[in-house]
Amino acid sequence: MSPPKALAHPPLLSTSLQGFLVAFERHDWPSAFVCLLPVALIFGLFNIYPALYSVFLSFFRWDGFNLQREFVGLDNYRTLVHSGAFWHSVLVTFYYASGATLLSLVLGLALATALNSNLAGRTIYRTLYFLPVVTPMVAAGVVWQRLFDPTHGVINGALSWLGVTGPNWLSDPAWAMPALILVGTWRRAGFNLVVYLAALQAVPRIYYEAARLDGASAWALFRFITVPLVAPASLFLAITSLIDGFQMLDLVFVMTNGGPLDATNVLGFYLYQNAFRFFKLGYASAVAYAIFALIFLVTLVQWRLVGRRAEVAYQEAA
Amino acid sequence: MRQFIWQRWSQALAVAGLLAALVGLAAPGLLGAALAQEPLTLTFWHYWDGVNGDTLDRLAQEYNAQHPGVVVEPVFIPNPELLSKLQTAIASGDTPALAIADVIWMAALKRSGGLAPLDSFITASGLDLSDFYASQLDFDRFEGQLYALPVSTNNLELFYNKDLFRAAGLDPERPPQTWDELVEFGQRIRQADPSKFGYELFTQGGEGTTWQFQVFLWQLGGEFLTPDGQPAFDSPAGVQALQFWSDLIRTYQVSALRPWGLFGSGDAAMVMDGSWMVQFFPPQINFELGTARFPIPSGGQPATNMGGEHIFILKGDPAREQAAFDFIQYFTSTAVQVQWDQATGFTPVRRSVAEDPGYQAWLRDTQPLLIPFVESQQYARARPSVPQYPEISAAFSRQVERVLQGQATPEEALAQAAADVRAILAGP
Repeated sequence: MSPPKALAHPPLLSTSLQGFLVAFERHDWPSAFVCLLPVALIFGLFNIYPALYSVFLSFFRWDGFNLQREFVGLDNYRTLVHSGAFWHSVLVTFYYASGATLLSLVLGLALATALNSNLAGRTIYRTLYFLPVVTPMVAAGVVWQRLFDPTHGVINGALSWLGVTGPNWLSDPAWAMPALILVGTWRRAGFNLVVYLAALQAVPRIYYEAARLDGASAWALFRFITVPLVAPASLFLAITSLIDGFQMLDLVFVMTNGGPLDATNVLGFYLYQNAFRFFKLGYASAVAYAIFALIFLVTLVQWRLVGRRAEVAYQEAA
Repeated sequence: MRQFIWQRWSQALAVAGLLAALVGLAAPGLLGAALAQEPLTLTFWHYWDGVNGDTLDRLAQEYNAQHPGVVVEPVFIPNPELLSKLQTAIASGDTPALAIADVIWMAALKRSGGLAPLDSFITASGLDLSDFYASQLDFDRFEGQLYALPVSTNNLELFYNKDLFRAAGLDPERPPQTWDELVEFGQRIRQADPSKFGYELFTQGGEGTTWQFQVFLWQLGGEFLTPDGQPAFDSPAGVQALQFWSDLIRTYQVSALRPWGLFGSGDAAMVMDGSWMVQFFPPQINFELGTARFPIPSGGQPATNMGGEHIFILKGDPAREQAAFDFIQYFTSTAVQVQWDQATGFTPVRRSVAEDPGYQAWLRDTQPLLIPFVESQQYARARPSVPQYPEISAAFSRQVERVLQGQATPEEALAQAAADVRAILAGP
């Protein structure tokens, strides 16, 4: 889950970008070209070239070492479509991404609504809830692993205090993914909270006042004013959370290693496993493009289905 | 106007050209400087940090002092990056002279075409290979040639918690010697304190599960793969070993399905773990630690699994390869290996090191916990050194997990594992 990227560019890049903008406005193409060169080179070398190179690799069978690569055409894609393990990973990824997205949206909106009131110490709460977003997930994963420990963990301790026998979280194929979804929600909710808070502050107060005069209940205010008016924020957050969910790898890496019995073997981990444990770089490149295609597809569907409705809801409410 | 634009473009091209020239000129310039001033520099990539890295640096300095024409330059690269760096280096042809790798990576490395075969160097130098434990070299052989030599190793034996032994009324100086005793002692531990486990199994799958299981299999006389690389674990020995693992959890309830780490936290009395833990356990535990040869099934034989690092030469010009081999010969020599093992806690790769009186005295006086590991190195077996091994290991451990989770019988699971492994070996 990407915390907002650092805003400060390295000085060379920001200077050259500013130069480019000035030159571009003046239609001074030669200067624009020179100013764009450093950025284009760096972006091309470290982003575009590897992305294109992995398209190329996906047509080969290669272990990453051998000086000979074997051209196999579309074989890697064919293997992928017929692989039970791949489709299992697709399902597992959908499970994680939809679970973490849904829970973190609900939690983010609930927290934002609570903090949008004139609560004392609002900034402190906001900072606290945002902390997980900027916490390195490897460290957090180790701590959560402790919390989920069935005998000494705080979570099962609290459950047993309530008279519930907690599950064997990370060692039980049925409970490992819910555990990861909880952690994913924890890390994402703070970001959603901040975006929702901004969206809430843009909702004109008079709507609430008018509705209150008509005798609307607090739930009705939330349901018929807040929810539709923050719909564009919800759409944005749903898309970005889902994309983040599709790319999740670090938690699995630290907490479950894809297990037990592949219950948490998400696509990112499946790709990592094939590329860096099984040394099937061609196949892993094909998996990477399959992930890309899936994310693209899901975003498109979301945009078509929810996007239109969000717009309609927003306009009707406004 | 036209002339103005032309001027601007030529300025732009000049700047671009200057940038390119700066990048382009810097590299050969440095190279030229390096070539002008001999001696021959041998870059040596490794991932040994802490004491291990410091010791290597010291050994390299001593070597350089004795060999004025050569500078061996160890370069530390973090473990997760070393393999991909080697991949890039081999693919681009810009290689270090020497490198080490984990034994598991040797399967891919020796097939890469990037390593220099050592056979002619070994013959010319008269190096006695029979002093190395034979199974070590299984990792290094490919199509009749030797591509690397072992420089460090480790193996799996029993660690136990003497405090928990005492609390259960067991003699802390008398660890279990048979599988039956492992179960019996484990049950005594649980009876004394039901919150403790008797023996910790690695149940999280992957190579952690597979390589521990192989020890049980080998002890029963079973094999993991046949000599020609087909599954051999679906045998009576395999079924018996897997049944024993299942019984440890389900029947005897001596072990549990838990994330790894129960022994270290004092929640399990016994565990199979590597000789490196002789160093790593003491600072992180608050109980008295014991080690012993791992218990053996009745009618079984001693066996253990091993890891470690092997050193190899990356193809280069003949002078560089020869100089690199000279350093390998120095590094693997008995005298240097004795120093190396004493400083790092690795177990010996050569019989003459294990039997060296100085090394043995050092073991007795300072590292008695390491003695079972040094003794059993001769029984260590090599995991199959095939490129598909990591995938085979993952498929195999998944079936072990199914049995431990109660989803399959050992027979069903091993038959499925054999089918999966055959499919992996047959290729996609």
